[in-house]
Amino acid sequence: MTSHDLLAILPELVLVLGGGVLVLAEVFAPSLRRTFGPLATIIALGAVVLRWTLAVHGMAFAGALRLDELGRFVDTYVLVAVVLAALVAVPYLRRTKHEFGEFHGLLLWAAAGAMVMAKTDHFLVVFVGLELLSISLYVLNAFHRTSGISLEAGWKYLVVGAFAAAILLFGIALTYGATGTFSLVEVTDKAAGGDLLPTLLLLAGLALILAGFAFKLAVVPFHAWAPDVYQGSPTPVTAFLSVVPKGAVLVVLARVSAAFVPAALTPQWLPLLAAVAVASMVLGNLVAIAQRDLKRMLAYSGIAHMGYALVGLVAFGRDGLAGILVYFAAYTLMNIAAFAVVAAFSENEEEPHLLTDLAGQGWKRPTLSLALSIAMFSLAGIPPTVGFTAKFLVFRAAVNEGWVWLAVVGVLASLVSVFYYVRVVFYLYMKPLPKREPAYSEPWPIRLVAAGCAAAVVALGILPAWLLELAEAAAATLVR
Amino acid sequence: MLHDTLLSTLILTPGAVGLVVLLLLPRQADSAARWLGLLASLATLALAALAWARFDPADPGFQLVEQRPWLPQVGISYSLGMDGIALVLVLLTALLQPLVFISSWTSISQHVKGFIASMLLLETGVLGAFLATDLFLFYVFWELMLIPMYFIIGVWGGERRIYAAVKFVLFTLAGSLLMLVGILYLAYLHHAQFGVFSFAYGDMLRLDIPMGAGFWGSPQLLLFAAFALAFAIKVPVWPLHTWLPDAHVEAPTGGSIILAGILLKLGTFGLMRYNRPLFPEAWEAATPLFMVLAVIAIIYGALVAWAQKDIKKLVAYSSVSHMGFIILGLFAGTVASTQGALIQMINHGLSTGALFMLVGVIYDRRHTRLIEDFGGLAKVMPLYTFAFLLATLSSIGLPGLNGFVGEFLILTGAFARHPLAVALGATGIVLGAIYMLSLVQRVFWNALVHEENRTLSDLTWREALAFAPLAVFMVWIGVQPGTFLRLSEAAVRHLIGG
Repeated sequence: MTSHDLLAILPELVLVLGGGVLVLAEVFAPSLRRTFGPLATIIALGAVVLRWTLAVHGMAFAGALRLDELGRFVDTYVLVAVVLAALVAVPYLRRTKHEFGEFHGLLLWAAAGAMVMAKTDHFLVVFVGLELLSISLYVLNAFHRTSGISLEAGWKYLVVGAFAAAILLFGIALTYGATGTFSLVEVTDKAAGGDLLPTLLLLAGLALILAGFAFKLAVVPFHAWAPDVYQGSPTPVTAFLSVVPKGAVLVVLARVSAAFVPAALTPQWLPLLAAVAVASMVLGNLVAIAQRDLKRMLAYSGIAHMGYALVGLVAFGRDGLAGILVYFAAYTLMNIAAFAVVAAFSENEEEPHLLTDLAGQGWKRPTLSLALSIAMFSLAGIPPTVGFTAKFLVFRAAVNEGWVWLAVVGVLASLVSVFYYVRVVFYLYMKPLPKREPAYSEPWPIRLVAAGCAAAVVALGILPAWLLELAEAAAATLVR
Repeated sequence: MLHDTLLSTLILTPGAVGLVVLLLLPRQADSAARWLGLLASLATLALAALAWARFDPADPGFQLVEQRPWLPQVGISYSLGMDGIALVLVLLTALLQPLVFISSWTSISQHVKGFIASMLLLETGVLGAFLATDLFLFYVFWELMLIPMYFIIGVWGGERRIYAAVKFVLFTLAGSLLMLVGILYLAYLHHAQFGVFSFAYGDMLRLDIPMGAGFWGSPQLLLFAAFALAFAIKVPVWPLHTWLPDAHVEAPTGGSIILAGILLKLGTFGLMRYNRPLFPEAWEAATPLFMVLAVIAIIYGALVAWAQKDIKKLVAYSSVSHMGFIILGLFAGTVASTQGALIQMINHGLSTGALFMLVGVIYDRRHTRLIEDFGGLAKVMPLYTFAFLLATLSSIGLPGLNGFVGEFLILTGAFARHPLAVALGATGIVLGAIYMLSLVQRVFWNALVHEENRTLSDLTWREALAFAPLAVFMVWIGVQPGTFLRLSEAAVRHLIGG
């Protein structure tokens, strides 16, 4: 291990050690609890700054980690999500009386896992990163340890996650059997040399890898856990869970695609991805219509959104990948804005977060409601929001690569989605306040996150060139 | 200085003030919001007049052009330009907006801030859609209109407002999303043929879009369909019109004026601006279909309007009929008929806008719009009766008023090539006279049987002020149509020729 290696993982080290300090501080200095949230925020911000100022490039740890613009993009996006989730979590945990240091420590560890995962060419490192991410999340899901529904969420995510991990590992093993390597770099070399044949072993291995990742992405047909876990988890965790693991996994999938697909595998891989994308877009949006609980609705909407993102992966190329990256930046902002508003519901956490409880709030709580409305319009892909830009870029990539029908299915699916997103706005502004008003608390961090994300959604929707530039630079590292 | 950014200033002024109203005004500042809204719309009108003054009618191309890179990686630019076709529609928009604020001054009393802000944002979307010369930019402005209109119908509308608002949103989006794929495909074609991605309108005109064989095998027909669907829903062309009566009837008066006066025109404007020049062969192929649909719309709309008991619904269905005329003029494809269609777009904006405004006046007083609840109003509201009669005569095309000019140009322009369609369409004029005059008779002339109508007050000075500019233009266009036809003639000749 050289100083280069250490510098390369300095941001992750800061996160892991900082997380450790927070967990220990909970034991030895519980009176400092109030500072844990701000501390976690500062640590995550510090990690972002480190990642951008260190400017370490190339391989580290003998090729196990690869530091490139793509990794940096994902790191930034993961850490932004951590900061936002931690900000929302501070008042939220205080209200639910779960203000423990482990929460923030685990959040930082999970982020470190996601960051490692997105920066490697090595299957085993992917697996290690994924497990760090997942195990932290199992605990976070069940963080309301006296609440049955939260425990159920943790348990479900654990069982499904373990199952997915096993499938993924099996897939990695089969792929290793077919290629003789864990390294995507070597796979790329083999493919370039024409040594990569679409044998049954390899195809089975890749299919299992895709299935394992599909669990994490919550795409059809591996989506069934999502609504329950979203609903049961503490809301800041749901916000984090809905964006971070998915972004990291998609980047890994992109790296896998880039390594394997140029070979003879295209005719098998792309239709498979396209089928998963179509099924997710259609089913996610249709079932979301039937939801009465905001968190469950967002879970199904998330399934659909992963479908849109997969459209970018089907199109691939630089445009497709840049589209996916913009998509994730957009999705993070709009989803966290939405969950921040959900976190302002201050009824008992066991209760559902009913859509009907939003009735009439638009005129009563202008900031939160406007933020939620902007998030909904952005999720629906209506300009001038970044959600539209992202969808536009992904569908554009699909059309340019000849997947016009996929883009048509995509826009029709988003037409369906408009119905339930707009329904949220309808409750906010067009329904009278109910007689028994639901309780809300909107402390400043929640307002800040909601309004900040909403403002960013609009600002990036109007001026997306900067974001797209970053995404294209990141995508260029993987595809010419 | 202003010359370089005149169009941007024109487009963004209402929206910027709208955001100020929405985000910065204190909660109860209703009066300030109303004044700000009115001032912003008057400023926009002044800017539009300035653009008119600087416009050169002899030049068929885009003027006052602005261009800045926006998403250069993708080939998207922020580019604006105004030709004669856009100019007259921009003038109509800028004229109607302040009148909407004046006429809704007291009738909108809840969430005033939100109403003013929605209206101003809507105006930005409309002006942007007329002036954009980049397809992506056009799409953004086009969709920008959706959210404010959703709020206007859904929050300030009538009893079934939610149904109407959601129906409006879903119908509009259903069309425009497919248009988005069409736009993407055009950019892809540009890359395939010229090596670079572009969404610029001028670049799209150079494309050679293959006709192929059959419908599904023909890129040009498919693209035409994708664009035409979006625009036809907006117009609306029969049988896609079913959202319109709901939206119109449920929308507040101001919303109806904008919807009928301007938003519908975006559909016909889109057909003119995009479908005809971009897909000329497909346009030819689709002409018989659209002629049939136009004639059906004219007659069907008129017959259904005739049968209505609700005045506002009657006016709404008359819109279907009138918009049918415009479609007929557009697809007939001669210079005269196209000019007629364009001027008829303005006329319909004026007369239907006026009618909706006047229906709002009695609704505010009586809270009913049923024809049978009125009768004999001429005795108690003479000024109002005069205004309504003027709008009616304009709507049914009395010579000397604006409606006649448009209908005459459309029918004479189309007759040589489509005599049957003209003959059938002309019956629509007769039907129009029947249902509108019978409406006037039942509301204004018959005996005054309802006692509560005896005490109705006539137009207030504010209502008269809102109506007066419309009356001026009805007469002006009727007497001297050349002033306005000249503005768009070069652009229309260019459109038909090229």
